[in-house]
Amino acid sequence: MIDIKHLSKSYHLKPVLDNVNLSVGRGSIMGLLGPNGAGKTTLISILTGVIGKDSGEVSVGGLDLDRELGRIQSMCSYVPQTLAFYPRLSARENLEYFGSLWGLRGRKLKERMTFSIDVGSMGAFVEKRVDTLSGGMKRRLNLAIGLLNEPEILYLDEPTVGVDTQSRNYILKTIVQLNRERKTTIVYTSHYMDEIEQVSDEIAVIDEGRIVLHDTKEAILAHADAVLIRVGEMGNPAVTALSSHPGIGVEKGMVHIKRDQRFEENMAAVFTVFHEHGIGVDDIVFGRRTLEELFLKLTNVRLRDEE
Amino acid sequence: MTGVIKLLYTLKKEFLLITRDVHAVTVLFIMPAVFIMIMSLAMRDLFGLHSSVSIDALAVNRDAGKPAEAFVKAIEALPAFKFRRLEKDATTDRIEEQMLSRDIKFALIVRENFSTVMAGEKGGKGEKPLELLVNPSVNIQTQMVLKGALEEHLARLRHDAFIDRLGGLLDAAGIDSKKLKADKESPIEVRFTYRKGRSSKVPSAVQQSVPAWLVFSMFFIVIPLSNTFISERSQGTLMRLRSMNVSRLSLIVGKMIPYLFINAIQAVIMVAIGMVVVPLFGGTALTLGSSPGGLALIVASVSFSAIALALFIAAVARTTEQATTIGAVLNIIFGALGGIMVPTFVMPRFMQEMAHLSPMAWGLEGFLDIFLRNGGMADVLPESLALIFLGAVMLALTLIILRRLREV
Repeated sequence: MIDIKHLSKSYHLKPVLDNVNLSVGRGSIMGLLGPNGAGKTTLISILTGVIGKDSGEVSVGGLDLDRELGRIQSMCSYVPQTLAFYPRLSARENLEYFGSLWGLRGRKLKERMTFSIDVGSMGAFVEKRVDTLSGGMKRRLNLAIGLLNEPEILYLDEPTVGVDTQSRNYILKTIVQLNRERKTTIVYTSHYMDEIEQVSDEIAVIDEGRIVLHDTKEAILAHADAVLIRVGEMGNPAVTALSSHPGIGVEKGMVHIKRDQRFEENMAAVFTVFHEHGIGVDDIVFGRRTLEELFLKLTNVRLRDEE
Repeated sequence: MTGVIKLLYTLKKEFLLITRDVHAVTVLFIMPAVFIMIMSLAMRDLFGLHSSVSIDALAVNRDAGKPAEAFVKAIEALPAFKFRRLEKDATTDRIEEQMLSRDIKFALIVRENFSTVMAGEKGGKGEKPLELLVNPSVNIQTQMVLKGALEEHLARLRHDAFIDRLGGLLDAAGIDSKKLKADKESPIEVRFTYRKGRSSKVPSAVQQSVPAWLVFSMFFIVIPLSNTFISERSQGTLMRLRSMNVSRLSLIVGKMIPYLFINAIQAVIMVAIGMVVVPLFGGTALTLGSSPGGLALIVASVSFSAIALALFIAAVARTTEQATTIGAVLNIIFGALGGIMVPTFVMPRFMQEMAHLSPMAWGLEGFLDIFLRNGGMADVLPESLALIFLGAVMLALTLIILRRLREV
């Protein structure tokens, strides 16, 4: 559905996107992860036609972004992470205004508004002024506005920031439901790894303008699914012995064992090697290596705003 | 058709936003309405033919002669002054003490030699027959008005006394001496000059204050408009609109048209206040000129210029607080410079020249052409073109800045 090849973009000679290659399958939900300033919003801004690119090729739904921007925009919808509507208007007045900008009017506008109100479960507060609503209600309205044009592709930029658990859960359920029932392709950015894990079919990690990981959720989580054993000094013979087993990884001071079909066999092998080489165990992390740990590893953990 | 519907919804949205913004309503409608009421009523007598304002003055007649008494009575009848008589032997110290303690502007002392001098005889010791004490708070123009009135009455008295002395000779020559005496009424006819034909229109405070405060309030659109625009930008609404295939130019035009309507509504309301409300409080009713086209042109030009300036400020300011401060300060400077707060005709020459730097002065001159000078479209064209040119420059700069910032 979305095909990006060699996409680059710079601001004041500083590259923000650097040779990005990415594709999103039709009807899938792609979780886009990245630390602040990684290039997520710039990527979405280019895909939605808000800003231009420097180089590369982008096609959306088989249409070329440079030549068919208007058509592409009419089949997409962008829900920014900010509450992008008018606080002094009621929820209904906001829906009516944004719907009119999509060219909707009369019965069609009413139908689309009704659909959006239902999806956002906003019936109880649709007549109220938005500045009197709770954070969760505002988030639902933000999403509902994005559904007015029945988009084939929905770009959601951190749609659950600052909402209570109930609203967050509702929004996530709605997103999955839209995807399953209407086959809407969704590009979803979030800082919450559990959300990405919960809703995504594909995951891409972007850092410093580059895609550092892109795969299906299952493949990524399988890679991440391991037991970590922290150890003290470990000599080369022990490292060699452990590395000879598929499914066992060795890093400095750490051994990780994938939870695959050889998991039990590998666990036994690891402890045999430890015993034979007199290696002491400092710590064992049972359970899964989470997406968050993987993300932090891929993006080098450090705080970007300190740079 | 779709474009018209989008515009109608945009209009509705902007009107709802404005009417639900207490600050905007106050700045755009209530503030100018109150200013018009206050200034039209406060300055009513500055322009009025029959002034109810009189300047307090004292009169001391130290001469017992009839000419002196006649002169004092004539002076007491002056409409712009309210004379209070003191006893003839009031000392200068007492007069001065009363002037300063009661803020009395003038004291006229008719000296003992007044009648003698009027009779054409030497007044003794070369003393002048009148003495005028002036409070230092009096401006030179008011002082000149009273001095002129005193000299005029003195001249009449001298003239009449001369005719009286010649009375016998004139009778002998068969000349009616009464016809030679000075006219009580002024021989000068005052008529106002208008651009188009003659008009019975008389300059009044309301004719000055309605256009002045209307122009001022139209430019104050800079505050709500820039605040809305900056909020839309910071909340990501403009970005959302851009992603909906709404171009930068459409965003700008979509912002301008509703505010052109709002400025037009301001004009209608302020003119209505001048025509209907001000007279209810004792002021003069505003009368419109004879050129609706000229009026529409100047309203549209002022509006275009004010909106473009507002968009420019919205583009350069980073926060709503910055925009409010820049907008308010700029408006007050334009207003003070452009003759809104102080009419340019009371300014010294160099300040009158400086006033041309303010776009509010251009707008005000255009309105005065219509309201006061009975002008038409051709008369307001220079001011309108200047305002439209300023607006076009501001708009071009706004688009360049927005494009460079890439935030919209």
